[in-house]
Amino acid sequence: MIAPRFVPFVLKQVIRHPLRTILTVGGVATAMFLFVAVQAMQRGVHAATVEEAEDTTLVVYREDRFCPFTSRLPQYYMDQIERIDGVRTVTPMKVVVNNCRTSLDVVTFRGVHVASFIEQHASQLRVIDGSTAQWEHRSDAALLGETLARRRGLNVGDRFDAAGVTSYVAGIVQSTEPQVENAAYVHLDFLQQATDRTLGIVTQFNVKVNEPSQLDAVAAAIDDLFHTAEAPTTTRSEKAFVSHVATDMIELIESTRWLGYGCLAAVLALVGNAIVLSAQDRIKEHAILQTLGYKGGLIGRLIISEAIVVTLMGGTVGSTVAMTIIHWTRLSMSADGLSIPIEANPFLFLVGLLIAAALGIVAGLVPAWQAMRRPIAHCFRAL
Amino acid sequence: MRLLPFDYAIRNLGRSPLRLAMSVAGSLLVVVLVITAAAFVRGLERSLMGSGSTRNVMLLGAGSEESVERSEISASVPGQAAATIAGIQEKMKTPFISPEVHAALAVSTSENKTANAQAMFRGVRPEAFLVHPQVRIVEGRMFHPGKDELIVGQLAATRLDLPRKRLGIGKDIWVDGRRWMIVGHFTAPHTVMNAEIWCSLTNLQIMTRRDSLSCVVMTLGQGEFADVDAFASKRLDLELIAMRETDYYRKLVDFYQPVGKLVWVTAMLVALGGIFGGLNTMYAAFASRIREIGMLQSIGFSRMAIVVSFVEESVVAASAGSVVALLVCMVWLDGLALRFSMGAFGMVLDAPTIAIGLAAGVLLGLIGSLPPAARCLRMPIAESLKAT
Repeated sequence: MIAPRFVPFVLKQVIRHPLRTILTVGGVATAMFLFVAVQAMQRGVHAATVEEAEDTTLVVYREDRFCPFTSRLPQYYMDQIERIDGVRTVTPMKVVVNNCRTSLDVVTFRGVHVASFIEQHASQLRVIDGSTAQWEHRSDAALLGETLARRRGLNVGDRFDAAGVTSYVAGIVQSTEPQVENAAYVHLDFLQQATDRTLGIVTQFNVKVNEPSQLDAVAAAIDDLFHTAEAPTTTRSEKAFVSHVATDMIELIESTRWLGYGCLAAVLALVGNAIVLSAQDRIKEHAILQTLGYKGGLIGRLIISEAIVVTLMGGTVGSTVAMTIIHWTRLSMSADGLSIPIEANPFLFLVGLLIAAALGIVAGLVPAWQAMRRPIAHCFRAL
Repeated sequence: MRLLPFDYAIRNLGRSPLRLAMSVAGSLLVVVLVITAAAFVRGLERSLMGSGSTRNVMLLGAGSEESVERSEISASVPGQAAATIAGIQEKMKTPFISPEVHAALAVSTSENKTANAQAMFRGVRPEAFLVHPQVRIVEGRMFHPGKDELIVGQLAATRLDLPRKRLGIGKDIWVDGRRWMIVGHFTAPHTVMNAEIWCSLTNLQIMTRRDSLSCVVMTLGQGEFADVDAFASKRLDLELIAMRETDYYRKLVDFYQPVGKLVWVTAMLVALGGIFGGLNTMYAAFASRIREIGMLQSIGFSRMAIVVSFVEESVVAASAGSVVALLVCMVWLDGLALRFSMGAFGMVLDAPTIAIGLAAGVLLGLIGSLPPAARCLRMPIAESLKAT
């Protein structure tokens, strides 16, 4: 856009009015912080709800139920589901949450058959503290997702009390699955006895099929099988299940995208205003530059470059602070025992910077156009 | 100290209509956002705190203090409580004891449609109207026990994202594959019940295939909370916990606190962005008036008097934006029903919310003008007069 020899000139223009630059960078950083945070929430929704070609997990839930307190399925369904063609494994799961409502600090207990859970999820889990052996051997032991453990400040060996269940932290795991990262996995019979005092009732079955192409056929077969049973079922792919059950929460998060657009508009206004003020201060200098032979186009590009530098500075500060906070706080929105993580990654940081730079170009266009078209004589007379 | 006339500040505002418009629009945007955040948090808190009565005590399943929907207690608890606990309020020999089932259930509007919204159902007996006096049937009638009939709260349509007409008297909804007829409308302003659907206790137990209750709510007359607490503590076999209704809803307010904080932080960040933008504009605006400042000082006005005049200008512009913002919010926001989590509530535009919004506007004007004004006044008079 401009030759490298003009870069020091642009940087000098930026630092010439340090206060104005600091205020503009501060404003851009604030807006970009909000924009990145909103995008991180949108990415979380995408990760938790958009199906991928290799997905092979189905969730069997009680028909017409969203809340884990009301989905009650007989555990003996497991044997019948296992006999359906295409089914590889069936995991009965009891889900207990401290509250079904939407908030940022929901604790979800998932009761599972320990041995089969390890067998099925070994490839997706990485134990970062403690051990799965200890989890297997202690009946009240819990395996915590890293997000939950960090949010609650829990370490291996701690007692963990939530949702009327007291458990022992035997291990902390990392997973690529958002639902695993924000849950505490405990023994199925322990959770059944700790909450309902009865065995044999579960919230859902997680069913793995042999091939992704079999998802729809197996789901239909399961629902047909229990159509007239005491508890009819609805079977969906895991991500379709999240997007159906957590509709309210997803709508809420998706509506925040307007806030993101508002932030971008604010960046435009802030930088546009600052560059207009800066260009007005320098009408005389532009006249001198033109007298020295600088073309109008180059002057315009110098002004746009200045806007890009300012937005990039603000974008870098805002995006870095947002990424750091999101990484450390590990926030996630939860409802009905399902979590939508707020995810930030380097790609989001890069997108933030690119958008900031693009906004700098747009914000600099008008003042650049005005400066380019102003005749030298007018510039001198303007003083 | 001799101050500059107030109309000097007002007239100066008209010198740059564009700048004035930007200041007013900036403060309008910030104040609208601050008021929206305050109205959201106040509305949510008020709907929860308004739901509990200081004289009501809840008996819940031990370990379910955070969520009544999770609680399961024996159906014999109401009878045993009435026989054991002294001092429960009575009316014509009827004790104020309401056994209830609370369940979040999916609702569809026709038999063949997939249910894609859930509402909070409360299975009750007529005693529920004794312990929850906020609830009044305003249209239609009470449901008949044994029939698939229900009454709906004022905000139930918002909760289900349906037009209000769709939940009119005589209309049907499908729950768990069964058709239910709406026979009444009730109102319970500023409570969570306003977004609920009520039906017969037995019918809801049949529908959810349970013989247990979620909770028992009782109103105390001469009795004290300690009496109910002692009952819950002594009857270990029932695995109960006694909670004041107000304490239960206060816990829910605490549960939602992170969401409230997130809303406030967002509003504060937007306000911070507004302050950065405002400061930038004001620095430029005041810097172009350095000669004027020098002139005012040379004819005898003190620096403080000039600062006061500049602050007046800024505060008047920001306040004008705040007033417009307030009018916008009064038209658009007050009482606006919001679907949130398992219920719905109305945004509240009360005195504290308005005060917070107006204070934010005035503060914006003050913070936006003081540093630029102070900076301009640092220059000696002679230099100010020479400034171009």
